[in-house]
Amino acid sequence: MDRVLGPAGREQLTRVTDWLSGAAGRLADDADRLVLPVVGTGTLLVLAVVFYYPVWTVFVEAFGDAAAPIRDVLESEFYVGAAHGLFAHPTQVPGDVLAWLASVRVHAGWTGRLPEVWVNYPTVRKGLFGFTAWQAFLSTLASVALGLPGAYVLARFEFPGRRTLKALTILPFVLPSIMVVAGFVATFGTNGTLNGVLTALGLEKVELLYTLKIVVLAHAFYNAPLVTRMVTSAWENVDASAVETARSLGASPLRAFKDVVAPQLLPALAASAVLTFVFTFMTFPIVLGLGGLQLATVEVWLYARVQQLDYETAAALATLETVVSLGLTYVYLRYEARRAGGGAGKPLPRDRLFDLDLTDLRSALVRAGIGVYGVVVVLVFLAPLVSMVLVSVGGLENPTLEWWRFLVERQAGSRTQPSVAVRNSLLFGVGALALALPMGVVIAAFSARGGRGRKVADAVLMAPIAVSGIVVGFGMLQSLVFGVELFGYRVSVVGAAVVVAAHAIAGYPFVVRNVTPMLAAVDDRLVESARALGASRARALYDVELPLVWPGVLAGAAFAFALSIGEFDATVLLAGENAYTMPVALKRFLVDRAAGPSVGPAAAMGTVLLVVTAASFVVIDRVGGRYRP
Amino acid sequence: MRRREYLKTAGVGVAGLLTAGCLQVEDGEQTSTTAETTTTEGTTTGTTSESTEPLKIATYDSFFGDEGTAGRWLKDQWEADHDTEIEYTAPSNGINEFIQRKQQDAGIDADLFVGLNTPDLVRVDESLPDTDLFDGLRGDLDNDDDVKESLEVDPENRVVAYDTGYITPVYDSTEIEDPGTFDALLEPEYAGTLLAQNAQSSDPGLAFLLWTIHEKGPDGYLDYWEELLANDVRVLDDWQPAYNAFLEGERPMVVSYSTDQVYYNSEEELPHHQVSFLNDQGYANPETVGRFAGTDQPETAADFVDFVLTDEAQANVAVNNVQIPATTTASLPEGYAEYAKEPPEPVTFTYEELAGNLDEWTESWAQLVASN
Repeated sequence: MDRVLGPAGREQLTRVTDWLSGAAGRLADDADRLVLPVVGTGTLLVLAVVFYYPVWTVFVEAFGDAAAPIRDVLESEFYVGAAHGLFAHPTQVPGDVLAWLASVRVHAGWTGRLPEVWVNYPTVRKGLFGFTAWQAFLSTLASVALGLPGAYVLARFEFPGRRTLKALTILPFVLPSIMVVAGFVATFGTNGTLNGVLTALGLEKVELLYTLKIVVLAHAFYNAPLVTRMVTSAWENVDASAVETARSLGASPLRAFKDVVAPQLLPALAASAVLTFVFTFMTFPIVLGLGGLQLATVEVWLYARVQQLDYETAAALATLETVVSLGLTYVYLRYEARRAGGGAGKPLPRDRLFDLDLTDLRSALVRAGIGVYGVVVVLVFLAPLVSMVLVSVGGLENPTLEWWRFLVERQAGSRTQPSVAVRNSLLFGVGALALALPMGVVIAAFSARGGRGRKVADAVLMAPIAVSGIVVGFGMLQSLVFGVELFGYRVSVVGAAVVVAAHAIAGYPFVVRNVTPMLAAVDDRLVESARALGASRARALYDVELPLVWPGVLAGAAFAFALSIGEFDATVLLAGENAYTMPVALKRFLVDRAAGPSVGPAAAMGTVLLVVTAASFVVIDRVGGRYRP
Repeated sequence: MRRREYLKTAGVGVAGLLTAGCLQVEDGEQTSTTAETTTTEGTTTGTTSESTEPLKIATYDSFFGDEGTAGRWLKDQWEADHDTEIEYTAPSNGINEFIQRKQQDAGIDADLFVGLNTPDLVRVDESLPDTDLFDGLRGDLDNDDDVKESLEVDPENRVVAYDTGYITPVYDSTEIEDPGTFDALLEPEYAGTLLAQNAQSSDPGLAFLLWTIHEKGPDGYLDYWEELLANDVRVLDDWQPAYNAFLEGERPMVVSYSTDQVYYNSEEELPHHQVSFLNDQGYANPETVGRFAGTDQPETAADFVDFVLTDEAQANVAVNNVQIPATTTASLPEGYAEYAKEPPEPVTFTYEELAGNLDEWTESWAQLVASN
C-alpha cells in the first residue's frame, strides 16, 4: 500500500474510499467465487430432477425379487447367446467350451503352390446383446473410416466455404430417422440413385437394403460427422510451434505427425469412437427401418417390452444396456486421462486445397484421394438429403407443389402450424444451449483436473449419453408427467422449461467431451499464475482457459443445439399438445390422413427443418467464432 | 463487465428454469382434473358441472389432425347442435399412457378413448386386473343395435366399434400375380416380395400376424413364419416405412389395408395397388370407442357416441378415416364404395381368443424373427 500523504482528514477519506473499493472488489470476487459452486449445484439439481430420478424409477423395477428380471435375461440364450451358460449353468461351462474346442477342425493342405489352411468351427450364438455389440462395432469402424478423412480435409486445407461446410457437418445429427430411412431407400434401394449410376456405367446392381451393410452405413451417416467435428476441433488446437520444433530437430513430416500431432488427436478420436459405439449400441429406428426386425437390437426389444407393458424385462434390459455403455464410458475416461498432455498456442497453417502443384507427386496424390473421398461424401451424405428435398416436390418425374401447399394450408389455423414448430424448435434450442454450455464447461473443468475416483464421478455425470432415450422417456413419463405424490398433493413437472432442461441434459455431455481433453491439455502453470495473481477459479477458467479451448466449446454448442432440434420423445412427453417442435410436426404430418399414404408432407417439413437448422449452425459458427470471451 | 453478466445470467438461468413455469401442484383428491398444457404454477381445482366443460377425447394423431379428418367432421357437426365443445388430445403412446396412469393413480384427464382395437383391450384388462379403465358405456347407448355382429369384440360390453379396416397384402400387379393363398407366399416365385411390419409395435403388423395364427393355428404359425422368413419376407418397424419402400418399388407386396385403392384410383395407379384377399379372407381390425370409468360427464359422452353411430356420421367417419362403417345401416358414397374393398370372408380373433395368448404369441414370433 502506498503511504498516504496529507492532512489527517484527507487520510481518513482515502481510507474510507480504499475500504469501499476494496469491498466492491471483494464483492465482485465473492460473486466470481460463487459462480462455479452455483452453476455446479444448478447442474446437479437439473440432472437430479430431469434425469437421475426418472431413470431411477425405471431401474428399481429390474432389481425386484432379488434381481430376478436381470437373472432371467442373463440366463436366456435369446438375449445373451452362448454366454447364457455362464449364468444358467456355470458348472457346465468348462465342459461346453472343451466340447466346442474339440469340434473345431483345422484342415491343412497344399494347393501345389501355396499352403492351404482353413478352420471349421460350429457357430457361436451371439444373442441379442452380442449382435447389438457386433453391429455397433462395425458401425463405429465405418464412422471413423468415413469421418477421419473429413477432419483431415477441414483441419489442414483452406478452401472457399470451408467454415460453412464445417458448420454443416452437424446437420445429419438433427434429421429424424424416418426421413433418413426414406432418403436411404431412395439412394441405396434397388431402384435408387446408386443403382441408377451403376447401371448407367454398365455395372451390376447392388442389393443393400435390408442388410447389415445398409444399417452400418446409415449409422455412419449419423456418426461420421461426429468424428469429423470432434477431431477437427482437436486438430485445429494443435500447437504449430511444437510441430515446427520437431521438424527443426530433423523429424520427417510423418514422424512429426506421429509424435506430436497424433497424440493430441487421439483423445478426440477415442471420444468420438466411444460415443459412436454407445449411440449405435442403443440404436433403434434405423435398424428396423432399413434392416427389419431380423436385425433387432437390444433397444428394439426394450421398446417392444415397454409397449407390451412388460416393465420388468424392459428394466432388466435397460439396466444391462446401461452397464455396458457406462462401463465403456468409464474405460474411455481412464484412457483419456492418461493421454492428455501438450499445450495450446498458434494453430497449424492450412494448405490451399485447390492450389494443385502437378510437379509435386505427393500433393497431387493427396488431392486425388480427397477427390475420391468427396464422391463418397456426396453419395452417403448429400444424396439422402437431396432425395428428401426431391420427395417434397414430388420427385423429378412428377414435380408438384402439392406438399408445400399442404404446409401453407396447415399454417392457416390448423392444429400443427409449421411456423410455430420452427419458432418452438429455435426457442428450445437456444434455451438448451444456454443451459448446456455452462453445465458442460463446469463439468469439464471438474473432470479435467483428474485424480482418484474422479473418473467414476465423471462417468456418472456422463450418464445421460449412456442411458437410452426410451428409458429416459419412460422414466420421465412415470415420474414427472404423471407426477409424484408429496404430502397429499400430486406434483407434476411439465411444460416448456422442463423440455429445455431435458434437451440440455442430452446436450451437455457433448460440451464436456469436446472441452475436457482440451482443458486437460492447457498448461497448468497458466491457471496457477492467474490464481496467484488473485483470480478466482471461475475467473481463471473464464479468462485463461476458455479462450484456449473455444473451438471445443463451439463444437459442443453445435451438438447441444442439434440434439435439441432433433429431439422427439422427451419433447412429445413433456411439452404437451401445443409446444410442438419441427420433428413433432413432421411426425404429425406423416400420419395426416388428408394427405394419404405419402411422405410428401413430412418431406416438406423435413426440408424446412433442414434449411432452418443449416442456417442456425452457420450462424452459431460465425457468431461463436467471432465472439470469444 | 459484459462477460461477467453473461456468466451470472447463465447461472441464474439454471435455477430460474427449474422454478419458472413448469411445476404443477394439485390437490391429491382431484386427480382427474390435471391441466396438461398449462405452464402456470399453482393449484388447479376442478368443477363438476356437466354441461360447460368440453368433452375430452383421447385418440390418435391422424384421427383429428386437420380439416378433412373424421375427428374434425365430428367436432364441427356436434358443436353445431350442442353446447358442449369437443377437445381432442393424442398422447404419444396411445392407450398405454392411460394404462400407466391408472397403474400409478395419476388421474385420467379424458372422457372417451377413440381408436381402441381388440388387442389393446386385452392388454388393458391384463395390465389392470383389479380396476376398470373403461365403464359400461354400452348400457347408456341407443344407437348401437346396428353394429355389425362381427365387430362386437368386448364380452363385457364396454366398448363399441365405430369403423373397421381390413388388413390384406397390397401388391403391384405389373410385377407379380395375386398370390391368392397363404401357402402361395412360400413358393419360390414370391421369394423376396413381401414387406410386413413388427407386430410388437405396429397395428397392421400385429393384425397380419394374428391372421396367420388364425389360419395356421397357435401350434402351426411359427412353422409357417419360419418358412416365410426362409422365403425372405422382411419385417419393418411400421406401416409407413414399409409402404414407402413399396412405393419406391423396393418390393412388390406390402401388408396394408383393403381400402388402399381409395388413394390410388386412377387408371394408371390401379394396377400398382391391387388388394389380395388371401384365402378369400381379410383380417378385420375394428376400431372402437370406450368411456373412461370415473368421467364426470358420462351422459354427454354417451350422447356423443350415439351421434357417432348415426348413419350420417358413420358414412363420414368411414370416408374421412378411409375405413369401412361399423353399422349395417350406413351406406357409403358410390365412388368410395367401389374402391374401399371388403373381403369375401372377414376374419378376426375375439377378445376371449386373444386373452391370455396375445403376449406369448407376439413374443415367440418376434424371437423367431429376430433370431433369424
